Amino acid sequence: MLTTLTTLAALALQQTDTTVPVRSGARLEVNNFGGEIAVKTWSRSAVRVEANHSSRDRIQIVASDQSVHVKSEGGRHGPGTIDYNITVPTWMALNLSGVYTDIKVAGAQNEVTAETVQGEVTVLGGSGTVSLKSVQGSVTLEKAKGRIDLNSVNEEIKATEISGDISAETVNGDITLLQIESANTEANTVNGDITYDGTIKDAGRYRFSTHDGDLRISVPEKANVSVSVSTFNGDFNACFPVKLTGKTKHRFSFTIGSGSARLEVESFDGDIKICRPGQVTKDESHKDKDKEEE
Amino acid sequence: MKDQWTDRLSEYLDGELGAAERAALEGHLATCAECGATLAELRRVVARAGALDDRPPTADLWPAIAEQIGVVSLPARRARRRIAFTVPQLAAASVALALASSATAWLLIRPGARAPVVEAPTPAPSAPATLATLATAAMYPDKRYAAQVADLERALERGRGQLDTTTVRVIEKNLRIINRAIREAQSALAADPANSYLNLHLAQEMRRKLELLRQAAALAGARS
Repeated sequence: MLTTLTTLAALALQQTDTTVPVRSGARLEVNNFGGEIAVKTWSRSAVRVEANHSSRDRIQIVASDQSVHVKSEGGRHGPGTIDYNITVPTWMALNLSGVYTDIKVAGAQNEVTAETVQGEVTVLGGSGTVSLKSVQGSVTLEKAKGRIDLNSVNEEIKATEISGDISAETVNGDITLLQIESANTEANTVNGDITYDGTIKDAGRYRFSTHDGDLRISVPEKANVSVSVSTFNGDFNACFPVKLTGKTKHRFSFTIGSGSARLEVESFDGDIKICRPGQVTKDESHKDKDKEEE
Repeated sequence: MKDQWTDRLSEYLDGELGAAERAALEGHLATCAECGATLAELRRVVARAGALDDRPPTADLWPAIAEQIGVVSLPARRARRRIAFTVPQLAAASVALALASSATAWLLIRPGARAPVVEAPTPAPSAPATLATLATAAMYPDKRYAAQVADLERALERGRGQLDTTTVRVIEKNLRIINRAIREAQSALAADPANSYLNLHLAQEMRRKLELLRQAAALAGARS
């Protein structure tokens, strides 16, 4: 089945409101140039696309058994700014992309891929592979589970109530991971702080690295973990007694319990603090976020 | 910290230790977080090497890239992906791998891709090229690394007209941030060249710079 629904505009400012039925397993794909993609969920097996756009823009909704593809054409004037409000079944996988586009998702229960250049990505929900990227905007994820990949360049990354493997990377921004249930987490930034408040599971792997920022990492009281700490020009302190081993000028380690998990914390020019869960919330700004030089 | 087992970790990874030594090392690993962390780093580098796609590209751009970074025979490298390096070599290898994969990826995705012009061919080494020679070449990566970065920067410069000025500013600002991190790591490493953390940290920041350049070049290419 292939149904193409095309709406041609007649007014300067136009609203599109179209609903198409979808079969279980279909994926939503949305490409937008500028504006917003907001996705929410409902219990119906249908996709409703509401869009506010210029009369020059033509919204195309192409539905098949496998996918619903939403895109626009701006004619000879090029793509315009379109605000989409899309309602999808909770089970629907989402593949959303834009350029000057904010992306918001609420209530998804399947895979979510969202990528933009200038815009924020905010997702509530998601399961399986959840991959969120923005060059110039913050990335925020809540209540997701699965394989989580969060990427920004010039803004912060926040993830809360996440279960699964997590990879988070930015260049100029903080990374905050709270209420995390993970056996495999890696977070890297160049100019920013990293906060991790979550589990340290037996045999798990955790790595947190920044060049110019502080690290605040939680280690539960009953964790079994070998901790390796590296800092070139910063201090280390823990909220509980630890017995340091292998101490050199810039690197040392300690073991808690059986040490089956590995935790690596590295900051070239920042302080490292290890505390109990609930004690690692950020209490001060490390330094000027935009510190830079050529 | 460097103890008696540090230099045996790559042999351990390669499965070259005898049963007794292996058992002893595993016993040591259970109590030495430092060696455990180093081993984890080695595994990451090895995994990165193993993750490289061996499929030949539709247009074989490797010879020119290899020539630029001082490696001659890719088939030899492909045929023998067995690794036994020291920690600094592995750190350097990770940079070299990032260089090769990033440059190759960018060359493949850019519009109208052609093999790069080799400005200053490096004399071919007589030994078969393996990851070891790649790592050795990358032990002193500045000149070649700079050449690869310059290639990507030139590509970005050519494509910057396709990007929004704000995006260009953001990319340049973040490249400056990474450059600062690289310079600071290099400076620290000059004072403490054997520091494995600094070696790996420098490699990580250099890789990050290439990734950002590649991402920026891809954005410019996608918009053109």
